[in-house]
Amino acid sequence: MDEPVCPAPDEMNFGDALAELESIVAALESGQLELEESLTRYQRGVALLQALQGKLADAQQKVTALIGELEGEPADSEE
Amino acid sequence: MAEERAVSVSEAMTLARQTLEGIRLRVVGEVSEFADKPGYRAAYFTVSDGDASMQCLMWREQYVASGVALRCGTLVEMAGYFSAYAAKGRMQFVVRSLTLAGEGRLRLQVAELARRLEAEGLMRPERKRSLPAYPERIGVVTSPRGKAVHDVLRTLRRRYPLAEILLAGVPVEGADAPDAIVEGLSVVAAASPDVVLLVRGGGSYEDLMPFNNEQVARAVATCPVPVVTGIGHEPDTSIADMVADLRASTPTAAAESAAPSMDELGSALHKTRRSLGRALQHRVQAAEHRVGVLVRRPVFTDCSVLTGPAAQALDQVGIALRRALPERLATDSGRLGRSAADLQRLGPRLIGPARERVERLGRDADRAGSLLLERAEEAVSHAAARLHDLSPVAILGRGYAVCRTAEEATIIRASTQVSAGDRVSVMLGEGRLGCVVESTEKEARNG
Repeated sequence: MDEPVCPAPDEMNFGDALAELESIVAALESGQLELEESLTRYQRGVALLQALQGKLADAQQKVTALIGELEGEPADSEE
Repeated sequence: MAEERAVSVSEAMTLARQTLEGIRLRVVGEVSEFADKPGYRAAYFTVSDGDASMQCLMWREQYVASGVALRCGTLVEMAGYFSAYAAKGRMQFVVRSLTLAGEGRLRLQVAELARRLEAEGLMRPERKRSLPAYPERIGVVTSPRGKAVHDVLRTLRRRYPLAEILLAGVPVEGADAPDAIVEGLSVVAAASPDVVLLVRGGGSYEDLMPFNNEQVARAVATCPVPVVTGIGHEPDTSIADMVADLRASTPTAAAESAAPSMDELGSALHKTRRSLGRALQHRVQAAEHRVGVLVRRPVFTDCSVLTGPAAQALDQVGIALRRALPERLATDSGRLGRSAADLQRLGPRLIGPARERVERLGRDADRAGSLLLERAEEAVSHAAARLHDLSPVAILGRGYAVCRTAEEATIIRASTQVSAGDRVSVMLGEGRLGCVVESTEKEARNG
């Protein structure tokens, strides 16, 4: 209808979602938006925020060896 | 030969020293003995090549400055001059500069390659690309064994486990290393990561040589993806470091520069959440304030502001109306009542005579009517009798006849109307005759 379809926050990559969230906060803080628009953007902002925090909470490092094989950690690791 | 004057030992030694000190050389040899005690003002060592050896000394300051740590078996290249230590009657080589043998040559080659690549512009600051803030994929080119790779993985896991790691495990020292590193960079870049880490742990100058290789340097400089190097420890800087988009001092530092910290991200998101809520709150409050200002305006708090003038006007009209109507009504109904009374009084008086006249006229009319009727009837019968008398039928009854032409169109009154032989029709009192004229005669009328 009047806005381009926004992708679902879960499907966006981290950087894009964060960038959109920051722009929403800036727009809201500017006070230039109409009240209805403010509420709509706020909801989108919350959805993005939850998706981002979810991604951080769930993240598991994935390692793919394109060449060679990763050998186990030596005994004197720093952790 | 002329007779030579005999000199003292000291003088002999001095002569020897003066002669020796003219010999300035670069010497390569292997250290076979080494003594460097803290109290000494110089490091003392012996270098040999298997057939000959010589005593060396290097003043402490210069030794330390050389950066070389001498050990037995170290191959060294020295620059200095010969001298003599009179007290012991010994020749010695005073070392002015010291490098590890071979390393000197290597360093020269590296310096030259660096100059050449810099002249090509591969090290310009403008070439260096910035790193993406939130990489989705991070490439790592390093040895799959050893500490460096695990340091990197651990650091990335701690900071930003969201990023997928693409690993190219390649040898990072030895003759195979340069080609393998180039291939590793190529394979990783083809998988489209957002950034590549090229790292290896600490080692000797020779160990790090693959990263001074020209092919490796060009591969780093032309990599389609930004490259962060973390090679050895400070202060080692290889050519790969110089052409990379970012140089980090260690593999761990390289990993830290490539990925944001999850903790920082988490707290940033918390702040963003608060900002979001606050911003909405302000927006809503602003709207509420505007509405509040309007609501307090007189037009909303006291509706008589709007209706007042109209109400007042209405009242005025009502007052006037009320004032006007009742008076008129009273007057009119009074008049109406009087007229009705008058009418009631006068009515019968007006009607009476008229009624009488009407009745009289009615009777007269009746009488006159009857009279007229009688007379008319008389006249009619009189006329009827006369009519009867005059009727041709009655005449005919008395014996007269009517003669017409055969077509019965014309009545024959004169004998001249017909001729002998004409047909004529004669109407009698009763019935009719069809005749033919035999003759005609003119006759004067009897008068």
